[in-house]
Amino acid sequence: MFDIEILAEGNVKLIGRLDAAEADRAQQIFRGFNQPLTADFTDLEYISSAGIGVLIETYKRLTAAGHAFRLTNMKPRVRNVFAYAGLDRLLQIE
Amino acid sequence: MIESRAPSAYLPAMVMRRFPRTLGSLEAIVSFVHEFLAEREIDPKHAHDVDLVIEELFTNMVKYGGGQADIAIGLEADPARLTIELQDFGVEEWDVTQSKPVDVDAPLEHRRPGGLGLHLVKRIAEKFQYAYRDRTSIVTVTMRLTP
Repeated sequence: MFDIEILAEGNVKLIGRLDAAEADRAQQIFRGFNQPLTADFTDLEYISSAGIGVLIETYKRLTAAGHAFRLTNMKPRVRNVFAYAGLDRLLQIE
Repeated sequence: MIESRAPSAYLPAMVMRRFPRTLGSLEAIVSFVHEFLAEREIDPKHAHDVDLVIEELFTNMVKYGGGQADIAIGLEADPARLTIELQDFGVEEWDVTQSKPVDVDAPLEHRRPGGLGLHLVKRIAEKFQYAYRDRTSIVTVTMRLTP
């Protein structure tokens, strides 16, 4: 199960498991944002390369439009995946 | 008097199950894996990496393997290590251990989709092996279960 809860302006919360089965749906939702965005990972339990791909595409699209894309409150095991991919130094992870 | 024994004393060495080759199987795979980890009393902190290795290998077989049959997933554990085996039946030989390396130092602008999943498997695996027999690809990953 994966869900994106839309909070206040420019803030979303990721919930559950962002895997290959959910990546297309997540991508469609993220493509609806065209503004500075903060994604709260507090309740994201799991991410795979498919989920990482969605976030990279979103990051490239938003930054090309001059918007920030911040990823916050990752659990250590989720953050490890970004580190394995060398993305913890490239994305704005707080 | 009830005798207390380690789980490995009475549970089968490798537990194997077949799953339809669709991404919709991932939810059932996670249930299978977590049930195995609980039965073997393996620390749940290992679940994320185990799920990740299996998802990446399974989705590669589904997307690029070219087969039609269900995919078999096997799990085996001792106190120090977990072994994961995936079998893809009726396919051409494709040694995923020889996948092109991902440049993790490349800037985002130069990152292209593809290859990251197998890179993650290589980062997590202690051993990553491939065999091809009777038109079946057999991929085996061994992970260390650190305390």
